[in-house]
Amino acid sequence: MIDELDLLKKDWQKRDEHLPKLSFDQIHSMIWKKSSSIVRWILIISILEFTLPHLLYLIPSFNKNMEIYDKLGLHNWIIGITIFSYGVAFYFLFQFYRRYKEICVLDSAKSLMKKIIRTRRTVKHYIIYSLSMIMVIVILMIIGVYLNDDIFSTFSGLKDKAQNVSIEKIKISLMIGMGIMGIVLTAVMGGIYFLLYGLLLRKLKRNYNELKQLEV
Amino acid sequence: MNKKLEHQFVTELENNQNIVHKVCTLYTNDKHSHNDLFQEITIQLWKAYPKFRGESKFSTWMYRVALNTAITLYRKSKKRIRTQDYDSVIYKITANEYDPREEEQLKLMYAAVKQLGDIEKALVFLYLEDKDYREIAETLGISEVNARVKMNRIKKKLRTILNP
Repeated sequence: MIDELDLLKKDWQKRDEHLPKLSFDQIHSMIWKKSSSIVRWILIISILEFTLPHLLYLIPSFNKNMEIYDKLGLHNWIIGITIFSYGVAFYFLFQFYRRYKEICVLDSAKSLMKKIIRTRRTVKHYIIYSLSMIMVIVILMIIGVYLNDDIFSTFSGLKDKAQNVSIEKIKISLMIGMGIMGIVLTAVMGGIYFLLYGLLLRKLKRNYNELKQLEV
Repeated sequence: MNKKLEHQFVTELENNQNIVHKVCTLYTNDKHSHNDLFQEITIQLWKAYPKFRGESKFSTWMYRVALNTAITLYRKSKKRIRTQDYDSVIYKITANEYDPREEEQLKLMYAAVKQLGDIEKALVFLYLEDKDYREIAETLGISEVNARVKMNRIKKKLRTILNP
């Protein structure tokens, strides 16, 4: 039985004349165009992922939150956590930059895929870390409320509205509210991150697994 | 200096553009995506060009960058292909005009290859380009034995697609 692929091969070698032909100028105009490669998207999204959480602090309402931390007696904690988290962010940024630099289109397909997936994993670790930081801060706030004896001076708006309610009840509902808010915030942000991650790398992962299977 | 490099690169690519067009033919299904992928490969080639020191032939170096871009870097939704797409200019069959049976068979073959996965297409492409298993293995990052095994599986798969 004649190998079908050999028939195709013969035809394939003859196809050249039927291929499109681009001129020097047409090709020249392409070389400075913007790439839309997956690596570029990963780079853009990752940088956004690194900067967005930090930009949030620039929004005035978030600055106001800092006052609440003060009143809850968390001032030193928050400063400590902030310094720590910037340190960690820079560490990740450095790691990410190193990974990104490693990516080279001249590698074999498999090692190129591996490097891209590894780069993405670095960012994923950062995201998991920053999401857990949100949870830690929320938990600290809940503890702060619990230990705070003068809740009305902290949340000044509460006093008029809740004159007849016992202070315990207010504390408990504040704590529950913060807890829910923390969980929702983490879940929503986590969902967005993982959706982006999944969409970008689905095809790549499939191909990588196909190559990896061969090794077994 | 930069201008000279630019000129050199574009000239080389112009002379070897068939390789890129062939990769685009395998990995895309319409003219628009074909041009899109061609452009992306051109950008990647240009970005990598300063690292090309001429230790291999320009064309050999191109195979790797072009396939890596198609398999790994390029992301465009791939629409399901309809049979009539094969009749477009790019997919014009070059078989003997006097043998309609062979032409029909080739048409079916191309359609079958289109149904393969990204990695399988890369193997078929290098095979059609008459590359040996060493080069196929090196480009994909697997062992030579594995490349052979994979190629045999692909042949079997193609046969099943052709004779269901």
